[in-house]
Amino acid sequence: MKPHDNRAWLLMLPAGAIMLTVGVVPLVSVFNYSFHDIFTLQDLHWVGLDWYTEMIRSGRFWGSLARSLLFSALVLSVQLPLGIWIALVLTKVPRLRTPVLMLVALPLVVPWNMIPVMWLDLISKTGLAGSTLAALGLPLDARFNALHTWAVLVVMDTWHWLGLVVILGFAGLSGIPNDYYRAAAVDGASRIAVFRYIQLPKISGILSIAVLLRFVDSFMIYTEAFRINAGGPHRATTFLTLDLGEEINSFTYGAAAARSMIYFLLVITAAWTFRTVMDRRRGAMQDINS
Amino acid sequence: MSPVPVPAGERTRTPVLPLLLLAALGLFILLPFAQSLITSFVSTMARDGIREGDVSLINFINLVKTPALRASILNSTFYVLLNVVLCLAAGLPAAYAYSRYSFTGDRHFFFMLLIFRVTPPVVLSLPIFILFAHLNLVNTPVGIALVHCLFNIPIAIWVLESFISAVPRELDETAFLDGYSLPRFFVRHLIPAIAPGIGVTAFFCFIFSWVEVVFARILTVTAGMPITMAINSLLGIRPDIGLVMAMNVVSLIPGLAMIYFVRHHLARGFVIRT
Repeated sequence: MKPHDNRAWLLMLPAGAIMLTVGVVPLVSVFNYSFHDIFTLQDLHWVGLDWYTEMIRSGRFWGSLARSLLFSALVLSVQLPLGIWIALVLTKVPRLRTPVLMLVALPLVVPWNMIPVMWLDLISKTGLAGSTLAALGLPLDARFNALHTWAVLVVMDTWHWLGLVVILGFAGLSGIPNDYYRAAAVDGASRIAVFRYIQLPKISGILSIAVLLRFVDSFMIYTEAFRINAGGPHRATTFLTLDLGEEINSFTYGAAAARSMIYFLLVITAAWTFRTVMDRRRGAMQDINS
Repeated sequence: MSPVPVPAGERTRTPVLPLLLLAALGLFILLPFAQSLITSFVSTMARDGIREGDVSLINFINLVKTPALRASILNSTFYVLLNVVLCLAAGLPAAYAYSRYSFTGDRHFFFMLLIFRVTPPVVLSLPIFILFAHLNLVNTPVGIALVHCLFNIPIAIWVLESFISAVPRELDETAFLDGYSLPRFFVRHLIPAIAPGIGVTAFFCFIFSWVEVVFARILTVTAGMPITMAINSLLGIRPDIGLVMAMNVVSLIPGLAMIYFVRHHLARGFVIRT
């Protein structure tokens, strides 16, 4: 057990001070703005919950929410199984481990506004992928065909973030002691059984971090999605954050603040769920150990 | 690095399916990079002496000749390094506190860190701009370095905590018995003991600060442009995509170097506290 000592807060002061300045204070101001109609910052008018009720009643909000949820669901259902599979494969080819982990980390270091530029170049008529697809008789039209825009976004996001799932999944797998595998071999357990009863439970903690990060980051995708097609065609890829960006750009700050608060609540809900799941797991582990 | 278990029988056999999968993965990951590299060496605009579509070094020459682009590289490097220093300086004591003590409200503070790590920047961008305008931190790399702490301090604390917890408590106790103060203990004993952890933390903070765009854009209106905004400013109605890609290729170099430095740690199971 760690000793209880409230003087430890002194060590938290530098981090706490910075988080207060760049996190808590701005958040409280957004909360305050969300109840006002704002012409200029010196000219605030109290409107109470008007922005909130207006947004909740608008079809636009629910449409964007549905699209964002669908995008996150698609992204998670592609990246999680694929990432885990690659991590599992890596455990079988020790020599390729470091090069492959370096490879999948590459897209993580690309500036976010460059990612859509790279992909638009790749799928353009003269690009490597665009010209190949056209030669195969499958021309890509990411501007006017909604299905194609969605496909490009999902593939691009997978390219960008698959490495995170692979790195976390592999870190989890490499933490499993050899004894578990020996015991499984003695029992003659099948590969599927080893995965289901040893590997998956052992990496579920670190995978839930991957799920949380991937869910929130894809749910709130902005920079990459905006550049590909600016939410089009016909709002087909207008996600939550693109709506917010529109409001900020049109200077309706009160409405933008209310929208920000709703998004913040959605994000807190995801983080809270994550923490509850982790606490339950920890409780269950302690029950087994006691 | 703990060896990943492979059943003895499978070690000798060369698995074909995994190799095919990894080859396909390599193609998928490298294709966009290959495209950027190719485009960066092609003249994508009609110019005197060079036809559109010719292979040429013109993009890189133009990059070096444009002062704004050169300055943006310096700006980015400056705020990213400053951010790494800030996150380490603030994160190290906090991670130590988490690793060694329990205290009232520790879990709530931790949850707050988690929340700010996952809050989308666009939610906080407007009030941060107003606040920083009051503090005279707009248009300077210092402002960006500070605001990037929002998502990097939580990461720094997570990663450092897992490394500090791997250091036996006896190290602290002996040092304190020898009369070391806390700061001297940090510098003389703790930091050398967790040097790889410092490296991994610096890697994550560097990367997330280097690639961030929303705060970097809102905080640089007229000056102090980072590399990402310099690229944005090139993307007009008819962008010189060759120059954009040359800039992109240059912007990838620090990231590649960072990956190379931490390559052995990528696979190490640093357990992140939840």
